[in-house]
Amino acid sequence: MKKNKLILMAAVALLTTATIFTGCKKDDDDTPAPTPNTEQKLSFHLHTMVGSNAASYGVQYQDASGRKFDIADLRYYISNIVLIKNDGSELALSGKVLLVNPATQEYELGEVPVGSYKGFKFLLGLDSTTNHSDPTTYSASNPLSIQSPSIHWSWNSGYIFMKIEGQVDTTLAANGPLDLQYFYHVGLDQLKRTIDFSTSPFTVVSGSDYEIGLEFDLLQALNNVDMRTENETHSFNNLPLATKIADNWQDSFELE
Amino acid sequence: MSSILTPFASIGAKGWVVLSIFIFIFSCKKDPAIEDTGNDVITLQIPKGFPYPVIPSDNQPTQNRIDLGKKIFFDPILSRDSTISCGSCHHTDKKFTDGLQFSIGIDGNQTTRNAMSILNTAYQPYIFWDGGVPNLEQQVLAPIENPLEMDFDINQVVARLNNHPEYPKLFQKAYNQPPSVYTLSRAIACYERTLFTGKSRYDDYLYDNNTLALNASEINGMNIFFGENGECFHCHNEYNFTDYSFKNNGLYLFYADSGRARITTLQSDVGKFKVPSLRNIELTAPYMHDGSLATLEDVIEHYNSGGQPHPNKSGLIQPLNLTPQEKQDLVNFLKTLTDK
Repeated sequence: MKKNKLILMAAVALLTTATIFTGCKKDDDDTPAPTPNTEQKLSFHLHTMVGSNAASYGVQYQDASGRKFDIADLRYYISNIVLIKNDGSELALSGKVLLVNPATQEYELGEVPVGSYKGFKFLLGLDSTTNHSDPTTYSASNPLSIQSPSIHWSWNSGYIFMKIEGQVDTTLAANGPLDLQYFYHVGLDQLKRTIDFSTSPFTVVSGSDYEIGLEFDLLQALNNVDMRTENETHSFNNLPLATKIADNWQDSFELE
Repeated sequence: MSSILTPFASIGAKGWVVLSIFIFIFSCKKDPAIEDTGNDVITLQIPKGFPYPVIPSDNQPTQNRIDLGKKIFFDPILSRDSTISCGSCHHTDKKFTDGLQFSIGIDGNQTTRNAMSILNTAYQPYIFWDGGVPNLEQQVLAPIENPLEMDFDINQVVARLNNHPEYPKLFQKAYNQPPSVYTLSRAIACYERTLFTGKSRYDDYLYDNNTLALNASEINGMNIFFGENGECFHCHNEYNFTDYSFKNNGLYLFYADSGRARITTLQSDVGKFKVPSLRNIELTAPYMHDGSLATLEDVIEHYNSGGQPHPNKSGLIQPLNLTPQEKQDLVNFLKTLTDK
């Protein structure tokens, strides 16, 4: 121990001397330039829209055909986010899972190297391993823990990738009250979709955190869905409807 | 309580002093020797001829965990209005079934399937009639969230447990953690893994070489069961009388409940259900995933008929042409699988 202490003291003395010397050399210069950051925080700034309106629970909207509906729950998982570097190599933001809801716009993705990127991509949904992981093992702050209300199927262990619920006017003339609860629970391994922005370049510069602006439009996700007749899927019981919604996901996202 | 205290009422002051000293000395003497074994990993008592079950490394059985799991299993705190516990549909006196065609959940709701026995559940490679859940820990979520069963939110169950006068201490003791989704699901699963059945007359016959344990009719039934006459053993085999496969047994031509297909979405899985264990089958009527067959005689009659010609029906289900006596022998054999 004593020996270590001596070595440490010597090192400190040496380092101090060195600093003084360096300092002397720099004396003539202006304020020394700070070391440039090699990494900056990256985040998604994500707006959830219904057409041109911001999505909000309890508000009445109209679908493409003019049919009235509201939203009681709209959440979805984003995972396997990958940045594509200029040389074509991929930087995976491993382990990052987002549970998106309309009330939240900021989703931190972590620190990434500064530089130019060709673009990015991500999964809407979860990879098979994560999808079938045990939800009871995640801490309450993890988006993969059991949520309230739940976004995990307890009777067929797996996550709901996108949950859309609310009420819709099902009258033929689309001129009545909101009279039916609709459920779009889209999950299952085969329904995850890669959302591709691999040709949407951006540059992260030293000294400022970067936000990728995104918009998700619910009307696009429900494109070609007749909410009057197609108002329920738990994926297993109505796979064609769930697939139709999943196939709309790529077109539901736009860069802001 | 009063009956426990009454004898002490006549002790008197002098007596109390003596008793206190006695207790004092007793505790002094014993204190260093008392060892709390509540958190020691226990070796489960397995029926003869059974393998030791595979138990997750993070949920090895200890007495504290088993006691905690048992307490929660029978506590309606898990349901929205605190009326339904696990034990509401898995009765100890009915080998952990409820004797109903469909179990009754919250608000008198009828569920959609017959309650399976959870004895020997430690061996189940997946849970439920359709195998939708991979293990007992994750199974805990399903009845709590099912709107027909407990209709509750597991995070709210956890909040209730944390506000309970006893549970926080018991969880701390058993898992060294407060109540959480993780510890709650582990405690119940830990208790369920201790529930075994395997002490029937048939076991005496098979494992103890007690040839007198079965009579002639039962032995004849056994031979039909394990022979090409009955073909039952193809699916109902080994120590738990199941191979845990999913089979369509030709119960219907059109299934109201698509069974395994509900999980896989495959047409080829429509009407397939997990082969159930036959242990204690005498005591777990009614039968089939929907409890549609009331008696063992009805079950034998179904298999003897060869079932409905559903495209997914197992090739093993063919008309058996059993005589009335053979059918009776088969029923008699099934009754030897009842725990003594």
